[in-house]
Amino acid sequence: MNESLNESKDLAAEKLEDLEQSVEDNATEEKTMDEMMEEFEAMESAMDRDAAMAAASTVPVAKKRRNLARGNAISGLIFVSPFIIGFLLFLLYPLQLSLRMCFCKVDAIPGAGLRLTWNNYDNFNKIFRVEPEFLQYLVEEMKRMALFVPGILVFSFFMAILLNQEFKGRTIVRAVYFLPVILASGVFVGLENNNALLSSIKDATKADSSLSSITTTLEKILLTGETGNKFFQYIIDIVGQVYDIAMASGIQIIIFLSGLQTIPPSMFEAAKIEGCTSWESFWKITFPLIGSMILVNVIYTLVDFFTRTDSNLMGLFDRTLLQRFEYGKVAAMSWVYFLIIAAILGIVMLIFSRRVYYYD
Amino acid sequence: MKKIKAGRQPNRSRAGDVGVAIVLMIFGAFFAFPLVYAINAAFKPLNELFIYPPKLFVRNPTTDNFSDLFLLLNKQGVITFTRYMFNSVFVTTVGTIGHIIVASMAAYVLAKYRFPGSRTFFAAVTVALMFTGYVTQIPGYLIMAKLGWTNTYLSLIIPAFASPMGLFLMKQFMESSIPDVLIEAAKIDGAKEGKVFISIVMPLVKPAILTLMIFSIQALWNNAGTTYIYRDELKMLPFALQTVGAGGVARTGAASAATLFLMIPPLTCFILAQSNIVETMASSGIKE
Repeated sequence: MNESLNESKDLAAEKLEDLEQSVEDNATEEKTMDEMMEEFEAMESAMDRDAAMAAASTVPVAKKRRNLARGNAISGLIFVSPFIIGFLLFLLYPLQLSLRMCFCKVDAIPGAGLRLTWNNYDNFNKIFRVEPEFLQYLVEEMKRMALFVPGILVFSFFMAILLNQEFKGRTIVRAVYFLPVILASGVFVGLENNNALLSSIKDATKADSSLSSITTTLEKILLTGETGNKFFQYIIDIVGQVYDIAMASGIQIIIFLSGLQTIPPSMFEAAKIEGCTSWESFWKITFPLIGSMILVNVIYTLVDFFTRTDSNLMGLFDRTLLQRFEYGKVAAMSWVYFLIIAAILGIVMLIFSRRVYYYD
Repeated sequence: MKKIKAGRQPNRSRAGDVGVAIVLMIFGAFFAFPLVYAINAAFKPLNELFIYPPKLFVRNPTTDNFSDLFLLLNKQGVITFTRYMFNSVFVTTVGTIGHIIVASMAAYVLAKYRFPGSRTFFAAVTVALMFTGYVTQIPGYLIMAKLGWTNTYLSLIIPAFASPMGLFLMKQFMESSIPDVLIEAAKIDGAKEGKVFISIVMPLVKPAILTLMIFSIQALWNNAGTTYIYRDELKMLPFALQTVGAGGVARTGAASAATLFLMIPPLTCFILAQSNIVETMASSGIKE
């Protein structure tokens, strides 16, 4: 979803320049128009009445048009301003305040709010050198990302292709696959974690899986093998997390599905007439044409993965904020986290956007 | 979306059909599992809840858990269950309606007009989607304190109006589904901006409105309201239910009833608006 971010920023800068220039142009034009008008009026006194009438009639028309444009601008402003005000007040202002907190020592003074005292890079020093958990969790999170994001993408792509087939009751099945998106957030997850019953079940199943079964034996054989045990570990991790991966891929499936439906069926027909097998047409038609959706999904998945609230890192933020009251540290940690996310997104966009083929 | 005829594809065998159906069913079961589990757990009597190994389906369904829950909630203090219920319903309704109006008004202008800074603004909104709530929690509180909105419903309702997700979805949907020609035609016929917005734009984006409604209801309904509010009588339903769940093992039954109870409103809305939501998510994915 943020793929067009950098692009749009650049474009916005360009647009702004263009606009400013055009405003200036307009201003100069108006000036010259006014001058011409004055000249015209000066000349007009010496001329006959018809010309004067014509000059007089052009003025109100121009004024009316300008009023109309201004009216549009005003109503546009009325439409956007509530959101802009809310956005500035409840998001942008807090964000810049927290950015300032990164570089400050924050003390709460009873009755007077917060006092910010500049302490350079002390917070960053602390989170990287003193705080033992931050770096560890950060690295863990990156590892999980390397596991989850490809897993989610492959899984949702596969499911989308299946759901794109024709069969009875397709809408209902699609709705079922969207269910986790509705249920996943908020209280349900909270209760799942806090619930004594569920946690006891979790312990029970954990105890269960330590019993030796065919899969664990297989796992051991694969992992103790000389070559590529890292690779097998990766695959086994993905299989182990398949439930979590499935739960997190509701929206991705929908996005892929919409991409699949924009591919014109005539293409497949033509390929079939030329003697293409389904396998070939999948790699030569479906895969390249869905490229832009893959990019959208990679970005969505990354953002979704990093902003979920049940990770260790978020737990650390929560503890630092609500139990230890170290606001400056939390601000510094979350900005470091944000910058890392932004960097990863930037790299992904750079790699993908060159290869994506856009079909119109 | 074009209408698809149900039936077998000519080039696939019956065995292939069955295979696809089986794979879909297995993963479908995955996806439906939390819902099925929550519903069943809510109706299990206490002895069944602690069966080992745990069973998914209930054998002797009772409504004991629900009566326990209401009993507990009413016993808890001076504040009755209906008060929490009212808080939640009120905040959710007002917040959702306001969010839909504010977000779609701004989205209309951003989608159909260019003004200086409009692209920058939209970029800022998309970046804001990436931040987690922890970043803004303290500054948000400071603002609420300055405005004097702590301990009021306003502190929950007004920020919901300007949530960036709504603007993002709405703008993408409007760009793809409202032809400029239609708006121009209405203007040539003498409609003013307000008229165009109310009688042309809004009816056309009904699917997006329903989607926003779901997301907003979900967010507000699950909000315990404890960040800006300290007075217990103004807190929301999830707060009351969390206190029940925190009561230990003995309250497991009541807690599972509470889970189901909280799930019902967003779920009902989702079922009512299901096909539209899938459509909006799809089309907002296309236009990026």
